[in-house]
Amino acid sequence: MIYVLAFIGSILLTAFAAFVPFFLLLFLGERGLDHLLFLRGARFLGMILKNLRRNLLRTSLTYLATFILVFVVTAVWSVLYFIDHFMAENTKGLKVIVAEKWQVNSKLPFTYADSLGRGAANPLRSEDVRPQDSMTWQIYQGTLDPNKQTRENIVICIAMEPRKLLTIMDDIWDEISTDQGKHRGKPTPEQIAELQALVEKMQDNKRGLLIGAGRLAAINKQMGDRLTLHGIEYKHIDLEFEIVGVLPKGRRYSEIAVMNRDYLNDALNSYPRTHGGVKHPLADKSLTMVWLQVPDQEAFSRIAEQIDSSGLYQSPAVKCQTLSAEIAARMDANQDLIWGMRWLLSPTILITMALVLSNAISISVRERRTELAVLKVLGFRPGQILTLVLGEALLIGTVSGLFSASLCLVGTNWVLNSLVENFIYVPNNALWWGPLIGAATALVGSLVPAGSACTVKVSEVFARVT
Amino acid sequence: MTHPPIPPSVIGLVLMAIGLVALLGAGKVPLRYNFRNLLVRWKITVLTALAFTLVVTLLLIMLAFMNGMTRLIERSGQPGNVIVLSSGATDELISHLSPADAREVDTQPGILHDPQGRPLCSREVYVVVNQSLAGAPGERPRRRLIQLRGIEEPELAAGVRGLELRPGGVWFSPAGVRALTGAASEGHSSPAIEAVVGEGIAREWRLRVGDVFELGPRFWMVVGILKSVDSAFGSEVWAKRQLVGEVFGKENAYTSLLLRTADAATAQRVSEELTQNFKKAALRALPERDYYAKLADTNQGLLGATYVIAIVMAVGGVFGVMNTMFAAISQRTGDIGLLRILGFARWRILVSFFVESLMLALVSGGIGCALGLLANGWSATSFLGGRSLVFTLVVDSDTLLVGVLFTVSMGGLGGLLPAVSAMRVKPLESLR
Repeated sequence: MIYVLAFIGSILLTAFAAFVPFFLLLFLGERGLDHLLFLRGARFLGMILKNLRRNLLRTSLTYLATFILVFVVTAVWSVLYFIDHFMAENTKGLKVIVAEKWQVNSKLPFTYADSLGRGAANPLRSEDVRPQDSMTWQIYQGTLDPNKQTRENIVICIAMEPRKLLTIMDDIWDEISTDQGKHRGKPTPEQIAELQALVEKMQDNKRGLLIGAGRLAAINKQMGDRLTLHGIEYKHIDLEFEIVGVLPKGRRYSEIAVMNRDYLNDALNSYPRTHGGVKHPLADKSLTMVWLQVPDQEAFSRIAEQIDSSGLYQSPAVKCQTLSAEIAARMDANQDLIWGMRWLLSPTILITMALVLSNAISISVRERRTELAVLKVLGFRPGQILTLVLGEALLIGTVSGLFSASLCLVGTNWVLNSLVENFIYVPNNALWWGPLIGAATALVGSLVPAGSACTVKVSEVFARVT
Repeated sequence: MTHPPIPPSVIGLVLMAIGLVALLGAGKVPLRYNFRNLLVRWKITVLTALAFTLVVTLLLIMLAFMNGMTRLIERSGQPGNVIVLSSGATDELISHLSPADAREVDTQPGILHDPQGRPLCSREVYVVVNQSLAGAPGERPRRRLIQLRGIEEPELAAGVRGLELRPGGVWFSPAGVRALTGAASEGHSSPAIEAVVGEGIAREWRLRVGDVFELGPRFWMVVGILKSVDSAFGSEVWAKRQLVGEVFGKENAYTSLLLRTADAATAQRVSEELTQNFKKAALRALPERDYYAKLADTNQGLLGATYVIAIVMAVGGVFGVMNTMFAAISQRTGDIGLLRILGFARWRILVSFFVESLMLALVSGGIGCALGLLANGWSATSFLGGRSLVFTLVVDSDTLLVGVLFTVSMGGLGGLLPAVSAMRVKPLESLR
């Protein structure tokens, strides 16, 4: 509750703080335009600024309302943006996941690993397509305290070949980027060398564990510490580890660990020796998924066909799909929520903004009927009066939208995300979403009042003036 | 006999109403003047009211969504039931119990028996199936997650959960399969697996008894529909355990046992006994209500986000109301001056304009609540605690109360400052 109130309070504070640049724009803008009257339209723009300054209270309230509502829309669109980004199909450099076809909790026999790693390519057929690289994942979940399992003492380990950290698992460097959603995975040579050294350590010492920074802090351990994990799904498979390093700083893998798959497989193979010759129940179900790196969609289609038609993977059957398709499939379970955010929540907020702006401009037009009549007498054409009124609305909408989206981006990405792990990211696109939303809703909301301003009848207005 | 506690929202509303009635009753307040003003300036009133209505309607729909999910979780579990998983497992999905592990669990003291003397213990296999759905040409094929539960004795399993079949359906036969006939049998030599589906799934997929659907590598025939709406079991498919195990590689294993005890206290005691003292296998037992309550943990984040969005939208709406009221007051300074001269005290002017704002909020919020009420009963799907659950949106009295409280708060906050400024109008200056 405290976080909720603090979050709302910070939005309000930010909104009030954003008054400063807005008022600076109003006051200084008008002064500046006074010196630029030779420019076409400068006088007009100056009139717009003067009109907005005339009733600061109304202008401020309209600005605040627009600011806050654009903030919410920016946050909602940021969530939708990243969902769409991860679901969008790449055309080049695809990552493909091969997992159990039917069950969500994929459990394949490890004997599938070798042939799947080749894309089920027949060694005797040269025309078969092979993936550029491959990697197996086995998931070992262990707890530090089997008697009192809590979220804090559980470590989820990806058992894989350590050298794949340097090749196919290049997303280990990724932050969730704000740069048009492109991954910002560009490590320095020093970082790569550091990871290489860690990989070599893990290859030399099968018990070596690379752990994410978030998980390391949660289990209260440090580099060099030894720990014993008691298997949760892999019952009676307790593994001792030595923490040899921390995974590269990136939110994606902050909460997991990476271990050498040979260690897990050795433990599974030696299990019968200590358990009366009986295989571990998960001995033939230890492989979770196989990752393949393919150059393009065509290669993916060929490999998928090879896997389907090979006849090697019947019990259990496997499915082969791209990473984005896999993410999309998971998102399908939340389709109603996503639909609601996209088609119910966002439009409602936009309509509310248009109504608030329409209200404010209507009041302004009603109060200035005499002034508008005078402008008409002085020779202003209806189109110019329309532009004047629309200009006021557009200025408030665009400026408040720009400031709101900018502050949303800075506040969320730089401030909130340093306080709360894995909070949402606001993409750089927000810098044009904000002004666009503000301008569009201002335009829509002010069309009717602006229209009524154009049609002010001079004779009617002055007939009432005493 | 204990009475349920009164929600704080009700207390708040009642106090507000009492305060307002007291203020209105203490002296003259020109309410008819305020009401007439709302009608005379109807365009501005409508614009402001529309914004209110939208915010309140949206809030109610969001709360109804959360309500539906919460209610679903709360109703998924009997107070006296105990769910038994393998040691360390937090979910049926990752639990693995061998037949040896499951032996003698049902001899534990405290477990109830049926009239035939059989212990009320259901041995089950739980699987979540990833099912492809055919999409339109050019569209990405969609997938859905389906909870499939393999049951040994369906009547026992239903009895333990307090569920029954809709009229017209039957439980699956001991064989658990039925021959496909007609078009469905073309190209398929295997018989269909008999299945009982939850009401939520039946509604979502438009299934009736006798319909055949595809799940995994096999065809399944609906032989019965569980009366299970508003519980997690409404989103499940039940079939014979041996067949589910064979199809999905869980032969000779269970994922969970469900035991029935007399009440919540006994369930807690039996859970502790099985977890700590059962020597024949390493188990993790917990009351079924607690098991499903943990699924609702993810709800809390969504509920927080819902309130944040609603409150932030409301703040935007409050500024809109303030705008309207300030404008109205600036146009009516003459009226206010006149009222003061006629003898209305400052505080009455304050109350008058405050109530005007509240009137606007209440009417538009009331319309918003009425529109939000239409969402009651809408069907939705969401992913919760590793499950894809079908549930209905619920707009109950608590939700409506929150809507009204929201409206009143928005109207009150938006009207307070303008009302104070109205109170401070100097009569003689306003009439110049």
